[in-house]
Amino acid sequence: MRTRREFLALSAGAVAATALGPRRADAAPKAMTIVRESSFIKAFDDYFAKTLLPEYEKLTGIKMSYEAVSVGGMLTRLTTIVETKSGPEVAMTAINWPHLFDAGLVDLTDVATEIGKKLGPWHDNVLDAVVVNKRWKALPWGNIGQLEAYRTDWFAEVGVKKFPDTWEDLLAAGRLLKKKGHPFGFELGHGFGDNHGWLYPLLWSYGGREVDKDGKTVLIDSPETAKAVDFCRKFYQETMLEDVLGWTDVNNNKAYLGEQISCTNNASSILVVAKRDFPEIAKVTDHGMNPQGPKGRYHIINAVSHAVVNHADVAASKAFLRWLYDDKQMSRWLASGDAYYAPFLTAYDNHPMWNSEPRYLPYKESLKTSRLHGWPGPAGHALAESVAKYVLVDMFAKACRGDSTKDVIATAASQLKQIYKAK
Amino acid sequence: MAVRPASLARPVAGRPFTLQGVLEREGVFSWLMLSPGVLFLLAFIAYPFFYGIFLSLEDRRVATPGVFVGFANFQTLLGDAVFWQITRNTFVYVAATTVLKLAGGLAMALVMNQSFRGRNLARAFLLLPFIVPTALSTVAWMWILDPTFSVVNWLLVNLGVVAKGYSFLGNATLAMGSLIVVNTWRGMPFYGITLLAGLQTITPDLYEAAAIDGATTAQRFRYVTLPIIKPVLIIVTMFSVIFTFGDFQLIYALTHGGPANATHVFSTWAFDIGMSAGQLGMGAAVALAILPALAVLIVALTIYLRRE
Repeated sequence: MRTRREFLALSAGAVAATALGPRRADAAPKAMTIVRESSFIKAFDDYFAKTLLPEYEKLTGIKMSYEAVSVGGMLTRLTTIVETKSGPEVAMTAINWPHLFDAGLVDLTDVATEIGKKLGPWHDNVLDAVVVNKRWKALPWGNIGQLEAYRTDWFAEVGVKKFPDTWEDLLAAGRLLKKKGHPFGFELGHGFGDNHGWLYPLLWSYGGREVDKDGKTVLIDSPETAKAVDFCRKFYQETMLEDVLGWTDVNNNKAYLGEQISCTNNASSILVVAKRDFPEIAKVTDHGMNPQGPKGRYHIINAVSHAVVNHADVAASKAFLRWLYDDKQMSRWLASGDAYYAPFLTAYDNHPMWNSEPRYLPYKESLKTSRLHGWPGPAGHALAESVAKYVLVDMFAKACRGDSTKDVIATAASQLKQIYKAK
Repeated sequence: MAVRPASLARPVAGRPFTLQGVLEREGVFSWLMLSPGVLFLLAFIAYPFFYGIFLSLEDRRVATPGVFVGFANFQTLLGDAVFWQITRNTFVYVAATTVLKLAGGLAMALVMNQSFRGRNLARAFLLLPFIVPTALSTVAWMWILDPTFSVVNWLLVNLGVVAKGYSFLGNATLAMGSLIVVNTWRGMPFYGITLLAGLQTITPDLYEAAAIDGATTAQRFRYVTLPIIKPVLIIVTMFSVIFTFGDFQLIYALTHGGPANATHVFSTWAFDIGMSAGQLGMGAAVALAILPALAVLIVALTIYLRRE
């Protein structure tokens, strides 16, 4: 038998449930906004905004809007969304942003697990980028890989028929090509992708590391780093234009399509644009994996992912992501992207999207050897600071302009010690 | 026991206490007119400024609550070699552009003050760099300075001046020099037009009198023109220095602080640390590091204006 107090509590609960319950259950939001950085592949953005979102709107009655942020501006936009707790509910993330915005993002472990069971498993190496304290803070969509785009005709002219497999072989080819008036152009300036895209892999492939797994032990001051720096200086001086030291991400694309350089590290956008606007260049362009160094071959992970911000209607946002990451939608959207995004779900390893253009296949292959910036260090705030301060890029750039290996490594080590608060 | 004056004890006979009456009082009315401006300043200048100071005293990571750390952010900055490099860059950038803009702007104003055919059209054209949005004109400069497609390099090579084009943005010294040129190009019309306004207040009688006394052109400039436009000259320089200290778009778009931090200034570095690294507290501290220099300028400006 219930006491009077229990009865009152139960009654109050029942009244509250009657009042709030049905309303809560039916309280699907009237509208939702998804914000993403605009893609280099216009058809990919268009397919999302003009086909997928209207389909979901028709299905659920929720008014779906798409906000496109200009390239390079997504991090700032995400900062304002999370800080002001207003604006779009679902947002694109990249690099290690789920770690930066951890407290402002919803836990998506349940959705990620479901998707992983259906279409996975997920590629292991993406976990560093999106799983924070064992919780999935974003659903990986695809990797924007960074590989070498090169001119097959000019390489053939100097007797190189296949893209060089090691950094030393690439240097040898570059020497010959520069003499022929076809220098290389690898970004060494303050861009946001094409610099880290080859400099981290170069460091790793010589055995160098910025910081250890513990995030406390700075490892940059090592003979391996010195070898990587010495190689980079030689590579720059003997194969490249001086301008690369000041390049940002647009410059190498312009220089390649302007036929000023014979090889650069980039996403597949160079070939995509060439096929559209410069078909003659497209015919003689191919992709090569990052060459290997004495300690292996590496690539960079830039996992474009989707996160739900705290102020969103969590149930509705998750429902949308479940729908979006269903093969019926995902397959079509990926296909519209011209293989620009390499998915992290194993079900798509042999998807027809890879068949239309074999020259994109190295981007899929590169996933196996891809690591997040700062690897093997933790993917938190310190990593973001190191990337934002261009510690690694400037270490290599200063060596290329003539500073001594010892000095540039000492400067980088002191910056990293300050950033990682190491002794 | 205090005795209140009779006039305050009750309303004056014949002047009832009405809203119109209150509004007609000078003190009330003037504040009413000032209030939109004051509210605007409070909301968009004072609040962000004080919030910036507050942030700079916190270890405030994006999406997380801040922890008060006192002056720890500033201490970290003082021990950071890059901070000193950026301080040096900022001062070089501001000093060089100010001298060039001042000299160029004064020359521009003196020419525009002469009578010649098409003067009004020339004045309108000279304002163009100032009117065109910076982001837009910077794109044009990106092409002009692009080593591969640079029209300057093309001209130099084709005229036989140099055998190989310059790397305007790849070489540390040239990159800073290029930014100084672009900033000067954009900022000179501001000096030119403001100084022209100052020149036009000079009555021709003074020049005639000086000419009768046998003053040469240089003497007329030195003893008539310069003393009269001095106040305008100082104010326009002060404003320009303040704006240039906070210059962001141009540098961010052209070099993003590269190569190897050679062109990073306070504003671009503060943005990278605050936004890209998600360290809002440290970013605010970097931005506020300009404050002492600006404060000296503002105080000097205020003292000068009061004296005048």
